Amino acid sequence: MTYEDRRWHVPEEDLRAYARGGLEAPALWSADTHLTACAHCRSVLAGLGDPVALDAGWERLDAELDAPRPGLLESLLLRLGVRDHTARLLAATPALRRSWLGAVTAVLLLTVAVTVGHTEGGRPTLFLALAPLLPLAGVALSYGPRMDPTYEMAVVAPMHGFRLLMIRTVAVLTAGLGLNGLATLALPGYGLLALGWLLPALALTATALALSARLGPVLAPALTAGGWVALLVTADAVGSGGPETLAPFTAAGQGVSAAVAVLAAGLLVLHRDRFDLCRDPAV
Amino acid sequence: MSPTVSASGLSLRYGATRALDDVSLRLSPGVTGLLGPNGAGKTTLLRVLATAVPADRGAFTVLGHDPGTARGRQEVRRRLGYLPQTPGFHPDFTAFEFVDYVAILKELTDRAARHREVRRVLDEVGLGDVRGKRIRKLSGGMRQRVALAAALAGDPAFLVLDEPTVGLDPEQRMRFRELIATAGEGRTVLLSTHQTEDVAMLCHRVVVLAGGTVRFDGTPAELTARAAGRVWSSEGRDPGALAGWRTGLGTFRNVGDPPPGADLLEPTLEDGYLLTLDGAAAEVTA
Repeated sequence: MTYEDRRWHVPEEDLRAYARGGLEAPALWSADTHLTACAHCRSVLAGLGDPVALDAGWERLDAELDAPRPGLLESLLLRLGVRDHTARLLAATPALRRSWLGAVTAVLLLTVAVTVGHTEGGRPTLFLALAPLLPLAGVALSYGPRMDPTYEMAVVAPMHGFRLLMIRTVAVLTAGLGLNGLATLALPGYGLLALGWLLPALALTATALALSARLGPVLAPALTAGGWVALLVTADAVGSGGPETLAPFTAAGQGVSAAVAVLAAGLLVLHRDRFDLCRDPAV
Repeated sequence: MSPTVSASGLSLRYGATRALDDVSLRLSPGVTGLLGPNGAGKTTLLRVLATAVPADRGAFTVLGHDPGTARGRQEVRRRLGYLPQTPGFHPDFTAFEFVDYVAILKELTDRAARHREVRRVLDEVGLGDVRGKRIRKLSGGMRQRVALAAALAGDPAFLVLDEPTVGLDPEQRMRFRELIATAGEGRTVLLSTHQTEDVAMLCHRVVVLAGGTVRFDGTPAELTARAAGRVWSSEGRDPGALAGWRTGLGTFRNVGDPPPGADLLEPTLEDGYLLTLDGAAAEVTA
């Protein structure tokens, strides 16, 4: 038995679909890749299809070989079922690059280490205060003329600016909240309290985006983050400074965060057309 | 035949600065040059016509659509190619990936058709052989061609080019001019430039903008004709000249109102441009 006999081959049913032009991605990409290296499958394919469809297939294969291989992030997104054009849009998002995700992971590890080592307060306050800011920063770094080198070209493209913003925001939030969630698993002793960052994170991100329609993508997140820090300092000062939970992380505080998130999301949708033009005419 | 762009009374202020003041123009197929000194409002006008920035006052249509409405704006953008003054790139992308990215923004979502289009435009700008190269490894001229390829993706009917030849060496500039001339066949191209040579070589029409207002709108020959009898040679700089500079022959070339008996010279497009700028000319040639 030769190596060629032992290795995996494209199922004949898939080859028939391929020859008809009816094979869907990702099986299509798998067949494309395999056919370039497997003489056996190429010969089987040659005997299956009608010549016209087969020529179209070879042409597509030729184009496929010509296209550059997607990078790590794009490949991962494609494997997760993200459509190829959305994956390409996300590959251009600064806050989804390894450097940014690595920096967020490092900050979270440090924060978790400090929180675990500093148990006398009995509350993971530092972690809860910091975790909502990371997704906010990620989203803020994902759009706008100062962060996106292709901003000007994107603004005059037919794809609505708000749609591009939302695609990136959802991806960055998913990555940011996922990393926060993993960090939360390292704090099992605090129970549900350790998840107290989630609603504030959504509220801060939605607020920053809603404000950025009017204030721009730098000032709005900066003001929102500043407001969050001021809120926590005030909550700490109003409390006795003892081990009790700060107001934003109580049940009532969480309710307020949820309400703010919904309200800000509504405002954001209401002002979505503002993302379709350059905010600063001099940019 | 209706014009590609018809604009009237466009005005825009940035704070206290009046960037555009009552600009009216009509653009039809072919290459139109937009000449003007720094701060003339060229880039602002291009951004307004490219639907990136709304004007404070005035109205315009592009290909029959009103960019003042969301629907009209999207229709315009579907048929628009835009090369900004300093095109930004995602440096980790290859030339192919970058053009592919812009093509996706242009709603070309079918993968096979989009990749065909990307290869077509990269071949058109002569970058077919380096399409797999990272953008950060390409020369400035090649990057500019990548940006032009991105602008050409989707075969736009209206192409807006903001100073595309700035920073290119003479050979690259000549190559770029060939590309613009080809791009101008069958479509409307608005080319902003500092270089009168670009206009002389490429444009069937030229608009001179200064201080946010249109100072001239006509053919390059008409702009050149403005300087007929108003360019002369002298041994030293003529203090009565609007502008003057020493030429390679050692004599001075003066533009303005010549003294009696002056040694008149054949005017060029640049002479006509300087006279059109009038008061701004001295500033331009300083």
